[in-house]
Amino acid sequence: MSQTCIRVTDLVKTYKDLIAVNRISFDVREGEILGILGPNGSGKTTILKSILGIIEFDEGSIEVNALSVKKRRKEILKNTGAILEGARNIYWHLSPRENLIYFAGIRGIPKKSIRQRIDYLLESLELSDVADKEIRQFSSGMKQKCALACAFIHNPSILLLDEPTLGLDVEISRTLRDWLLNVVEKEGKTILVTSHNMDFIESICDRILIIRRGEIISHETVESLKEKFARKHFRIDLESEPRSHLLDTIGTLGSVSVSGSSISVELESANQLIPLMRILDLADTTMLDFRTVENDLEDIFLEVIREEEQ
Amino acid sequence: MRFVTLIAAEAKMLYWSLRRYMFNTVAMLVVMFLIFMGMFWGIKSIGGSGVTGDSLDSMLVGYVLWVSAMLALQNTGSEITSESQRGTLEQLYLSPMGAEKIFFVKAVINMAFNFIFITAMLYLSMAATGRWMNVNLPYLYVMVLLSTLSLVGISFMIGGIGLIHKRIASVNGILSFGLIGLMLLPTYPVTPYAFLPFVAGAAAVRNSIVRGHVYPVWWYLFITGNSLIYLIIGLFVFKRMEIKARRLNKMGQY
Repeated sequence: MSQTCIRVTDLVKTYKDLIAVNRISFDVREGEILGILGPNGSGKTTILKSILGIIEFDEGSIEVNALSVKKRRKEILKNTGAILEGARNIYWHLSPRENLIYFAGIRGIPKKSIRQRIDYLLESLELSDVADKEIRQFSSGMKQKCALACAFIHNPSILLLDEPTLGLDVEISRTLRDWLLNVVEKEGKTILVTSHNMDFIESICDRILIIRRGEIISHETVESLKEKFARKHFRIDLESEPRSHLLDTIGTLGSVSVSGSSISVELESANQLIPLMRILDLADTTMLDFRTVENDLEDIFLEVIREEEQ
Repeated sequence: MRFVTLIAAEAKMLYWSLRRYMFNTVAMLVVMFLIFMGMFWGIKSIGGSGVTGDSLDSMLVGYVLWVSAMLALQNTGSEITSESQRGTLEQLYLSPMGAEKIFFVKAVINMAFNFIFITAMLYLSMAATGRWMNVNLPYLYVMVLLSTLSLVGISFMIGGIGLIHKRIASVNGILSFGLIGLMLLPTYPVTPYAFLPFVAGAAAVRNSIVRGHVYPVWWYLFITGNSLIYLIIGLFVFKRMEIKARRLNKMGQY
């Protein structure tokens, strides 16, 4: 069992009358990627900034590698990197290499001892060809890669990422995902990430924390979350639009929704699959396709939020 | 060693920025050169033969003092505003060295650059006009450094306010013009004005260089003490404002 890397206990943060974070507790283990999901204003960024000591929290405690954020912040920062405002976190009038040298320098790491690391980061993030060009000219994705390299310059074991894929296209998001998965697998890094990009979160995280109005409403692994919210959900494409009689009959087995000549059916149990097939067999229209549809993380997220609201 | 690395990083950052904005750098050099040339030629032509070498020296010393003081005063405040606008302020706060150390080094590096820059322009203007000042430059710079440290302290106070209120350009503007008044106040033997920041140092520089006044050692110690006290107060206020900015989540939000 790997060690606990970040321990947040009963964290509370308020701004005047607004409770941004309300008694949140969770752990992140070494080598794990924990995702934090939540609607805008749910407290995700406040949690990240509290861990980094950029926000002074009101109650509770945060420990990183068993060191208290309130008492030993500077020691914690030696081993922690973060991207908080996306690509705005770096100097656009400098080149990637200059940014890397500068961020190493303000952390007290001389250029001589970091030369190899700079080359490694530039190469692994495919920035070598543009290493000496002004960042201002880069695309959003390239800028984000530079920000990631800068956050990693001191080779931290913990990385906190706030919306790392915001405004990025699918290809760049996947490149970043693969790069992060690689450093976690090969170097055992620990990552805490917030994002609205469900595909990114689903493909990268071991566990997911869903928060709403500053409170945790779900805290599970991606698999168990999917299992919990798994539905016997089928999509049937017909040759023509279904008649109301057919829909009523299928409706006795579960909930039905129609879109043109396609029917979506959510069965109450797997046993009802055979009766459903019989009904379709007797229908006066031809079935073109029948497939199982799995809930994706976005559906699950919305369902968790809806359940909580009810 | 880590502190030396930080100094090197800030020096490189200044060099890269000057190089990247080459047009602005050259324009800055030209403007400063023209101001010095204007002083050498303009005052002579307005004042005619009544203008003595001493009054020209006094003008130049006053100008060097004012420019150095203004830059020291505006430094941290404007750095915080621009870092905040860019979105890089929070990254500075993620350095284990501490943001106050980074901003202090930024201020010192900028002051050092300004000294070099002003000296180069001063000598270039003297060479161009053939009119050489009788000024003890090492003394001038040591005194400017000693007395402007108090303004670095004030700059940290303004920077601290900037962490919370973000836009502080008008405060900087008002204080910069207020400096002209401060530089003219009498301070020796001890007057209440001497306890204000920068005033005693500026008066000592002007009077000793232009009028040949000799001050006792305790007066220089007083100037040093005055500067250090304002610097410490400035750093303390900055730290308090930083804590407040953290509590209000104002760090980095522009």
